Amino acid sequence: MTNGSDAPLEAIPAPTSYPRSSRYHDTPVALHVDPDGRQTPYLKRRLLPDPARLGTLAEHTVSVGDRPDLLAHHYLGSADQWWQIADANPVVDPRELTATPGRRLRIALPAGVPGAVDG
Amino acid sequence: MADAPVTTGPIRLTLMMGRRIPVPVPQPVTDALLSAQVTVASGQRSGFQLAFDLSKGGLINTALLPAGFFDPETRVVLVVTVQGTPTVLMDGVLIRQEVGISNQPGQSTLTVTGEDLTVLMDLEDRTGDSFPALSPAGRVAVILTRYASYGVTPLVVPELIPQMSLPTHRNEAQNGTDLGYISELAKANGYVFYLDPGPVPGMSRAYWGPEVRLGVPQHALNVNMDALSNVDQLTFAFDGTAREEPSARVQIPTTKLSTLLPLPELSILRPPLALKPAPALKKTKVKDAAKKETAPALAETLAKAMESADAVSGSGQLDVVRYGHVLRPRELVGVRGAGITYDGLYFVKSVTHNLQRGAYTQNFTLAREGLISRTPVVRP
Repeated sequence: MTNGSDAPLEAIPAPTSYPRSSRYHDTPVALHVDPDGRQTPYLKRRLLPDPARLGTLAEHTVSVGDRPDLLAHHYLGSADQWWQIADANPVVDPRELTATPGRRLRIALPAGVPGAVDG
Repeated sequence: MADAPVTTGPIRLTLMMGRRIPVPVPQPVTDALLSAQVTVASGQRSGFQLAFDLSKGGLINTALLPAGFFDPETRVVLVVTVQGTPTVLMDGVLIRQEVGISNQPGQSTLTVTGEDLTVLMDLEDRTGDSFPALSPAGRVAVILTRYASYGVTPLVVPELIPQMSLPTHRNEAQNGTDLGYISELAKANGYVFYLDPGPVPGMSRAYWGPEVRLGVPQHALNVNMDALSNVDQLTFAFDGTAREEPSARVQIPTTKLSTLLPLPELSILRPPLALKPAPALKKTKVKDAAKKETAPALAETLAKAMESADAVSGSGQLDVVRYGHVLRPRELVGVRGAGITYDGLYFVKSVTHNLQRGAYTQNFTLAREGLISRTPVVRP
């Protein structure tokens, strides 16, 4: 009488194991099949948001002793959001962000959240 | 730097409004926002209420209100960012505005109320649109394509019991508005229909399917755990008469004999959350089942059984700053510290967000089908 085991449930997308605060939360999962039939799931490449389209929250001048996680705690309220600062100021190595004292860093809002407009 | 306080605050509210495409509101409107309340419930439409300060010479009173900025059918998107993670709370349209003018300075307010985008599906009566040879899920998918311009992406789960009728035998036609018909189809299959805003502002997912009682549970609600408590109060209720055991009789067209339908197992769509499910004290009969075909009658019996399965309910209030996340409705959550009987995983039935300047609290209701947790621990 029913559709077999759980065919309708296959339409519900599998929940991701990454929490919503993770930068990989919305990254799609792909499946690699080896020649011997072994299946290995992997994350596809995460596309960075265009830094110019992110809304600016604040600007910060790097001083000695700054670290991306400390800045994230200070400006965003959570130390594990340091990757948002790296997204807004594209660098190859995240340590480059705070390596040079005097460098101006842009602290941006999360992707998709617009900044305030002046009336 | 390490000891410096958090300057910009862990919670930010972004308000976007516009005719059809929402854009960020001007800064004076954000400054005038006094409070926001958003109610989201499983299987029901969501609503919101915003209150603005209406000063005599302010921008809202002199320019925006007469220009129609707060007129009905204006789209409103509310995004809250907690600890750097954005959550779209509401994507809806304004349907009512109230202006309260006071003799006391600073007490005049503009209150606007609205509902989520399903209100647009409830405007036009389309009785008579026919859907030949389409299953209920196919009909829902066809109807939802009309709202793609509002960023509504459908996620339609095929019904558990296939109900495709032959065009030569029966031609299904719509009855009432789009929303009414979709909800009617959902109810007949034990499914729910709702719009889930997000993941980015301006998009929402239209879900037609069973309540999703799967997936990774949200961060646990701790109660009566000293410094670890993150819930202000939590009450539970166990209602013995809530659960019903429906049965249906169908008539076999050729022999005119009636037979009792066997009730299929519920746990396909609802994995049990409690070790000791509540007994079904009430026995009910599905009305007019003999006039229907076997598959719709069976689906309706299953729907009735699923609808009433939740005998244990809980309600409470939490402070988002202390909890650290936004509690999301229609997902699982763990409860700790309530004792052996009521600890464990629950389904979040509804959440009311109350936002004010400097305060963000959530009222929530939880549900599950019995007592005693099935899991030895919940994720903290």
